[in-house]
Amino acid sequence: MTTGSVLALDLVVAVLAAAGWLGGGAAAATGRRRLALGVGAAALLATLARAATTIALARAGWWFAAEKVIIAAPLSLAAVLVAGPRLVRPPADIRPAAVALLFAGYAHTAALLVTVLHGYPVSAGAALLAVAGVAAATAVTWRFLGARPSRTVARAAVVVSLAALVTGTGLAVTTGAAPGVPHAHGHRDEPTVGAPTKRFTLTAASAVVTANGRDVAAWAFNGQVPGPQLTATVGDVLEVTLRNQDIDRGVTLHWHGYDVPNSQDGVPGVTQAAVLPGQEFVYRFHADQAGTYWYHTHAASDLGVRMGLHGVLVVHPGPVTGVDVTVPVHALAGHPLPAPSVAQVRAGEPVRLRLINTDSTTHRYALAGASFRVVAIDGADLRDPPPLADTAVLIPAGGRYDLAFSAPATPVALSVDGRAVWSTGPVTAVTSGWPVLDPLGYGAATPAPWSRFDQELTLVLDRGLDLRGLLPRYAHTVNGAADPDIPPQVVRHGAVVKLRIVNRSLVVHPWHLHGHHVLVLSRDGTPSTGSPLWLDSFDVRPGEVWEVAFHADNPGMWANHCHNLPHADAGMTLHLMYA
Amino acid sequence: MRRAFVIVSAVLLAAFALQFVFAAVGAFTKPAGDGAYALHSITGMVVIPLLSLLTMVCAALARAPGRVVAQSVLPLGLVLLQALIAVLANAFTDASGASTALSLTIGALHAVNGIIAVHVVVGVLQAAEKLAAGRPAENPAVEKSPA
Repeated sequence: MTTGSVLALDLVVAVLAAAGWLGGGAAAATGRRRLALGVGAAALLATLARAATTIALARAGWWFAAEKVIIAAPLSLAAVLVAGPRLVRPPADIRPAAVALLFAGYAHTAALLVTVLHGYPVSAGAALLAVAGVAAATAVTWRFLGARPSRTVARAAVVVSLAALVTGTGLAVTTGAAPGVPHAHGHRDEPTVGAPTKRFTLTAASAVVTANGRDVAAWAFNGQVPGPQLTATVGDVLEVTLRNQDIDRGVTLHWHGYDVPNSQDGVPGVTQAAVLPGQEFVYRFHADQAGTYWYHTHAASDLGVRMGLHGVLVVHPGPVTGVDVTVPVHALAGHPLPAPSVAQVRAGEPVRLRLINTDSTTHRYALAGASFRVVAIDGADLRDPPPLADTAVLIPAGGRYDLAFSAPATPVALSVDGRAVWSTGPVTAVTSGWPVLDPLGYGAATPAPWSRFDQELTLVLDRGLDLRGLLPRYAHTVNGAADPDIPPQVVRHGAVVKLRIVNRSLVVHPWHLHGHHVLVLSRDGTPSTGSPLWLDSFDVRPGEVWEVAFHADNPGMWANHCHNLPHADAGMTLHLMYA
Repeated sequence: MRRAFVIVSAVLLAAFALQFVFAAVGAFTKPAGDGAYALHSITGMVVIPLLSLLTMVCAALARAPGRVVAQSVLPLGLVLLQALIAVLANAFTDASGASTALSLTIGALHAVNGIIAVHVVVGVLQAAEKLAAGRPAENPAVEKSPA
């Protein structure tokens, strides 16, 4: 059982426990003895089950279990100590047991709310608010159910809930005041890149484009979605002029996966100002990394990319041989791009398919009819990749895989989530049952480039209530905070940094650090044994712990965020800065 | 206060009815996307919880019988459960985010729980109306539990 399933199961048993104790209490209050005892026993079972899931999660990593051990377990224990004896030796008239069972219900509800609303890091504020809620609800229940508590008990309950409420609220409001992101506009050592050898102009404008045979309103570069493919050769100096015709939200160009100098990175408010209608911005950088990349707007990035402001950037190491095809996959207003195409390829000709996922969710790609090698991931070549057949690949949001094969005499077909996108003829293979390639064990290993790490950083991904904005929101959080309130992480220039990413949430987060490629060290404690993987976009699934490392060799202020762009918009963005 | 209890629970019921409308709006919005259910999400995560809370408070302030107060707490619990079901349904999708038999089964509970919640709110509204009309709610069991 994966840690991700345990996380979901834990939530299910927590709901059952809370509902069970509350239901048992309600049944007891109405005098239904057998129902109350039955439901109460079920609640006790669910409580024991939650103890088991908590232990399993603690073994998987303290991040997953901290609040369950420190806040939920004591509440649970108190609940069982109070309500348990009523179930074991039930009185003939069950009604007086109602308050005890309901108390257990409130305790479990509070524990559940802590996990769901502010689980990590464990906070005294959340714990005190939980206690206040339980004490207050129990006091009110006691009063309504008629069996008046003694004056002392009633007063004690009021004092406890008030004190916990005041302290808890105080702690919740004051802790970790927003640090704000120092905007690095001034910090600009304008790179000298020499005279441009390739010039492009990209003009962003609203347009009507054809997708899947329909006319669709889009935002497009030069009137097309995806925008024009920018192709260069290693050694070129690229100059790209970005113009904004009428996109009111502003536009920038971010070179996804291309480790450009900070001033060219295209993050509005951090490395430049958004380019507003009528304005322009000129990007210049060296094409010094070969491989498959893409560019997209980083202003209103969720909406902008979804509406079509993106395109392909390919840098060739030298003259192109054979068939070289880019397949940028995108859902434009619900219509899948690209349109299926059929190519004429001579048998024996080398083919390279550059698969690019420009959406916010993972896609499954399957190449039928030929054995192939995954020769590069995220632009970086793999070492000695063995041939694969009848194997699918999962590409994270923002990620790229390059597949290479020698064209057979029979047709081959590439499909994305079961939809054919590129083929050399009709292929009838059913690819849905194929196993999926795990890149962590693919290709030949080399000794690690670093024997020690100068710094360690941890990102714990979760969901939580964010009360700092104008409206409360259920944010996607990093280390318990949501953008713009996540403190930037600081690295020293030249340091080798180990970055640990822990996903406590129930959804996958495709992680994307700007300006650096990270080397995968391990996943869930299991070291990567295949070819070195230098990634810029990787899926951290629920319950997974990834350890990656990078060389802090590109100074500046870098965005570090989830590339499921709605998640980034909902708080899951922070920054990496150099000391 | 009894009048307020009736009005607030009637508004809560109306919000629930609208919530079904918004679910249909989401289901038929083209192109489908996360944004399609925006109205449904906001109503479900902000409007209905607040109204449920208000209903609960009104029931207590109207000095409704314990059973009615307990009944008025239920919608809030069911609404929180409803949000959790939605989260869990998404958690059980496969690696590429496509739905699975399990995720759809859990998703289906979202509809079942919604129907239950509406029934509970109808019950609360009826009890509130009885209370306002001056007829005490039946079932005094909760009222005089032996000390």
